[in-house]
Amino acid sequence: MSNPVIQIQNLHKYYSTTHVLKGINLSVDAGQVVGYIGPNGAGKSTTLKILIGLLTDYEGMVSVLGHDVKTDPIAVKSRIGYVPENAALYDTLTPMEYLQFIGQLYGMDETTIERRAFDLLGLFELSGHINARMTTFSKGMRQKVLLISGLIHNPEIVFLDEPLSGLDANTVVLVKAIIRQLADAGKTVFYSSHIMDVVEKISDRIIIINNGQIIADGTFAELQHQHSGSLEQLFGQLTGSDDQQDTATEFINTLTK
Amino acid sequence: MKPIVLWFVIRLNPLWRILGADPVALRAIVDVKLTMDNRRSYASLGRYGQAKTGDKNNQFLIVLAIYAFFGLFTGLSMLAIPPKEALFIPLTITFAYLMVFCAMTLLSDFSSLILDSADNQIILPRPVSGRTLLLSRIVHIAGYLFSITLALSLVGLIVITIRFGPVAGIMFLIMSLLSSILMVFLTNVFYLLLMQFTSEERLREVINYFQIVMAIVFYGSYQLVPRLMNQDMLTEAVEWQNWFYLVPPMWMAGAVDMVAQPVFDGPHLLLTGLAILLPFGGLWVMNRVLGPVFNARLAGLEQDSTPVSVKTGPEQTSSIMQRLSRLLTNNPLERAAFGFTWRVTARDRKFKLKTYPQLGFGLAYIIAMSMGGFGAFGKSSGFYLFALYYTGLFVMTAQYQLSASDDFKAAWVYGSAPISRPGEILSGSMKAIIAKLMIPFYVLVAVYIAWRFGLDKIDDIVLAFSNSLIMSISAAMATERKLPFSIAQDVVNRSNTARGFVVLLILGLIAGAHYGLTLIRYGVWVAVPFSIGIFWYLFSRYRQTSWSQIVLE
Repeated sequence: MSNPVIQIQNLHKYYSTTHVLKGINLSVDAGQVVGYIGPNGAGKSTTLKILIGLLTDYEGMVSVLGHDVKTDPIAVKSRIGYVPENAALYDTLTPMEYLQFIGQLYGMDETTIERRAFDLLGLFELSGHINARMTTFSKGMRQKVLLISGLIHNPEIVFLDEPLSGLDANTVVLVKAIIRQLADAGKTVFYSSHIMDVVEKISDRIIIINNGQIIADGTFAELQHQHSGSLEQLFGQLTGSDDQQDTATEFINTLTK
Repeated sequence: MKPIVLWFVIRLNPLWRILGADPVALRAIVDVKLTMDNRRSYASLGRYGQAKTGDKNNQFLIVLAIYAFFGLFTGLSMLAIPPKEALFIPLTITFAYLMVFCAMTLLSDFSSLILDSADNQIILPRPVSGRTLLLSRIVHIAGYLFSITLALSLVGLIVITIRFGPVAGIMFLIMSLLSSILMVFLTNVFYLLLMQFTSEERLREVINYFQIVMAIVFYGSYQLVPRLMNQDMLTEAVEWQNWFYLVPPMWMAGAVDMVAQPVFDGPHLLLTGLAILLPFGGLWVMNRVLGPVFNARLAGLEQDSTPVSVKTGPEQTSSIMQRLSRLLTNNPLERAAFGFTWRVTARDRKFKLKTYPQLGFGLAYIIAMSMGGFGAFGKSSGFYLFALYYTGLFVMTAQYQLSASDDFKAAWVYGSAPISRPGEILSGSMKAIIAKLMIPFYVLVAVYIAWRFGLDKIDDIVLAFSNSLIMSISAAMATERKLPFSIAQDVVNRSNTARGFVVLLILGLIAGAHYGLTLIRYGVWVAVPFSIGIFWYLFSRYRQTSWSQIVLE
């Protein structure tokens, strides 16, 4: 009987009058890779922001690593990592300066930060750019720095939002391997993405959210019992959107009208 | 600069703890922000504020040096001359300038920083409380402002110390710093009020307009105030009035005055009290009350706002712009450039900030001058020509700025679309500027001139219009030709002295010729068709610009 690292009970969230999250219930144990997917506007980012303590205006019980997110957000933030998609960076800084800054915010000591940052940047093939300002960095290079900044303090849970965006093929393989090994080491990875093929392959468990409610929760095999096919097709059926072929035909027709 | 500020910050650690912030995180955040300040480009200083990319990061020191230079004028003129008894008004003016300058800096260089949500995205997911973040921002801004305040008041400080001794000097220094604190507080309140009354999307636009207005007011007052005051104000002691207590610069002035003269009477003590209490009171209010509200508002601002879906079919209505574009342009490419330029110049905040103040200021200046506010020139016979040609100058600036944009990378479309004659784009956008910026302004000025100087000036009005067109097109042809909104801001800002030279030369030639023509009977009317002809010829040459003549970066 393991202790859930994430527990959400009856979560409701309103943006003024819009009911965005309508009673979310989920529980995640340590060492799992959870794929959290859903169409745009389903409530994915909102759930994520609540889990990491960025939004405290909600109803229901949300606890991460035993801390209630509403009353103790700082404790939560110090033990989790968050890598948003294409997020802002202070790009007039060099990656080393940026990571030193982030590390200090986590209360790490300076020698540790420097050593870790140096090694991690090297592993991501950024050694040659350690002291270059990030204004010159490509999207992929920034994403790499963002990934490191979300992991450098060795968090127990990592929340990733489209972490593979902008990465070249080899780095994609690398990051997928890192995710797998994080889970094997007992960390939990909460992964949100639109790329179904990847989610299908790396997730131990898949949670599908649509219109503020969870409509599927289980391993890929379990989900396939009800709807066969790839995750892409399954997702389309569950979210009521499987007429893309017709729309595509209509698109071509419009071009030639 | 940075080590000094950080030293202060660390010394004040107990204070941060009392205020409920994490000192370690606070120091780290202030450190990073100061580092970034040294690498930023400073919008308010234009060409002199460009950031260097090398290792040497003394950008901020250069900025400070420039500010110290500005302070030179007020310092000397206000404070070196008046006798001891009449210090109050000059001091008030000095502090007023200081405060306005702080407010302007806060509005321009910091508008983007204060409203920037990058901090929220980068820092709040880490274990840092909202209060720590807010306090770090305040400390950072205060540090920045203090440095600027010091630079601005440096000369004044020296003058006061020399004339009235070190005590007065110290008081002046303290008052200067307190002024800046007060301005941080007032600006914060101002932003909150704005957020209250405008919707989130419009907030940035409103602030932009305020920046424009402030720019006009500031530069205008810099010109007008010295002229409006006469010598008496500077040299006589002033009579006390009750409403003095309401004016912040007067509090500061009173405190310094008290020590400089010295005189310790009731009014002076009261002013000093206000000067010390209110800034700190403001800080307290900011930390306690405004801070959380402000952050909540900001967070609300950055909510992933779902794009408002407006029910529209394909646009059938022809707006003014579309009718004009059909009238003035001859082919689809030109029309496209016309519409594009028309719309973007109406919406691009930076473009507006660079061009509209000049417009407002020019108009105000012209009217003020012709009322005789500036002595002889306003009443001379050549004056109205100056007013008419001002538009030409303005359009030349606007046209030059046209190539700059934050979204310059979007200009890739010029490369991928099948365009064989880029000159059409240039001509379309030039027409848009003429139609949108030049003509309305010109008509305004022309109506004013006709009203004030008589309808017989109509020939000059027509000729000046045509000549202004010539000026604009020649300036455009004399510089590197760039497609609209295709170059990064920094690159455009770098001075182009050759162009400036050519522009002045042409301006001088044309204006001089015009003036000469006014002396010949019917001279002006005869010149009109020639002028129009020259413009037509130049414009068609401009329109034939080929790709080899276009500069792409």
